[in-house]
Amino acid sequence: MGIVVFFLAAFLAIVSALAVVSQKNPFVSALGLLGNLVSLATLMLLLEAQFVAAAQVIVYAGAIMVMFLFVIAYVGPRGEIGPGTRKPWQVVLAVVAGLLVLIQIVLVVWTTDFGKPASVDEAFGGPGAVGQAFVTDYLLAFEGVSVILFMAAVAGVILGAGPRPKRLTTDQVMAKEGEAEARRRAASRAAIEAAREAEPGEVR
Amino acid sequence: MVDGVLATIIKSFVLVNVLMAFFAFMTWVERKLIGRFQVRYGPNRVGPFGLLQPIADLGKMLQKENMVPEGSRVKLYMVAPLIAMTCAIGAFGLMPFGGVATIPFVDYQFHLYIADTGVSLLVVAAIGSLGFYGLMIGGWASGSKYALLGGMRAIAQLVSYEVAFTLAVIGVIIQAGSLSFVAISDAQVPLWFIIPQFLGFLVFFVAAVAESNRPPFDLVEADGEVVAGYHTEYGGMRYAMFAAAEFINAITLSALGAVLFLGGPNGPFLPGPLWMLIKIGAFLFVLIWIRATLPRVRFDQLMKIGWKVLLPAATLNLLLTAVAVVYL
Repeated sequence: MGIVVFFLAAFLAIVSALAVVSQKNPFVSALGLLGNLVSLATLMLLLEAQFVAAAQVIVYAGAIMVMFLFVIAYVGPRGEIGPGTRKPWQVVLAVVAGLLVLIQIVLVVWTTDFGKPASVDEAFGGPGAVGQAFVTDYLLAFEGVSVILFMAAVAGVILGAGPRPKRLTTDQVMAKEGEAEARRRAASRAAIEAAREAEPGEVR
Repeated sequence: MVDGVLATIIKSFVLVNVLMAFFAFMTWVERKLIGRFQVRYGPNRVGPFGLLQPIADLGKMLQKENMVPEGSRVKLYMVAPLIAMTCAIGAFGLMPFGGVATIPFVDYQFHLYIADTGVSLLVVAAIGSLGFYGLMIGGWASGSKYALLGGMRAIAQLVSYEVAFTLAVIGVIIQAGSLSFVAISDAQVPLWFIIPQFLGFLVFFVAAVAESNRPPFDLVEADGEVVAGYHTEYGGMRYAMFAAAEFINAITLSALGAVLFLGGPNGPFLPGPLWMLIKIGAFLFVLIWIRATLPRVRFDQLMKIGWKVLLPAATLNLLLTAVAVVYL
């Protein structure tokens, strides 16, 4: 049973990951990433990491990917990126980065001793165990991440809001409107004068 | 914790069918009640008291032409209602309906829930938020502006209200000390959480109405503004699946409210499933009552309620609960 689920989820994870990079439409790519996240959550469930699996689906699939899709749908199609638009250094960098990751995976798999499966107790992977780890062993990392996320949120608001428009009092607004009105009148008077000078007989 | 594979499959089969029958019955109840609220009869032609109306509706839906709009993304367009429906039913599957039951004569014991995991509440929240992808994908893949706008509204609404919803629920989690539905129901044996968590309950209820896209928060399909929202381009059985998913979501959230605040399947005299049915029914009645009474809110009002009222209230509730649990 577990084996069948594992291979199904693993296959879906690979297919959806390929879809993310091979699809031309960003919306479909984002859906591929969503499928990948859900497949990974299934794999985590098989590893008894229930809390991480549920949190992954809620946070990444339920909130972050939703915002991705929102932005993609909102901005609309921006034209597909055709071949030949990539710069040579990008290609080189991509190949190098890919090779490095591949080497890392091969090394890890090579040096790992796949003897017997790890034995975990009942509480492992539950919300209690994860919470305990957060506030004891990994408190510094946990707080650090929260500070970084907070900074990111503030920066997002500032960048998104743009320069703040100056607040005017009612008097200032009225004065401004008065000036605009005076300018409009002056402009129309000037136009009439100009017309009179051009054709004195037409305009009385 | 869990029964055998075969027993689970049988239980799932029974639960899905009971849920669909209950859904069909509730659409009749809703139309009948709204009729009564508006001083008219409601459906009364098909069968006794119009009880066969849902079946007639289903027959009509099934016969409709199976059409796909031009300019749509066909595969995604087809699969979107399926996503919405699957997630709606899947989230309901974790609801508890009691403890252990015994089949008479054969003495076979089984649990009155499909699964009770240590993270049930999170799983329901996760499946529920995945269900919104059905709306979003449907709106986008239809290739229509109104459908797209409806889908976007759905997402904006979900993101705004899920925060307050989750914070309101955390109060219950702190008090029960568990995420398992069975444990949460059992923690309410002397006193339902609706009394100590009343503020949390209010926030939960408003957010639940908004999350199930029920009136007065049904801006996703406000007909004066976006025609029918995300399902503008859908017809026949696919439309019916969207409508069913929406109503089943309302049922699921009612069941969630019953478990989190009204003691779940626990109650005197009657068996667990019946108590759940009564509590879900009470929630649904209030939902229908609200639909018949309140006008739809504006979108800016929706956002204001979500961020400026519910979120601070939920945070306050969380803070008070935490202090009370630690120091009392």
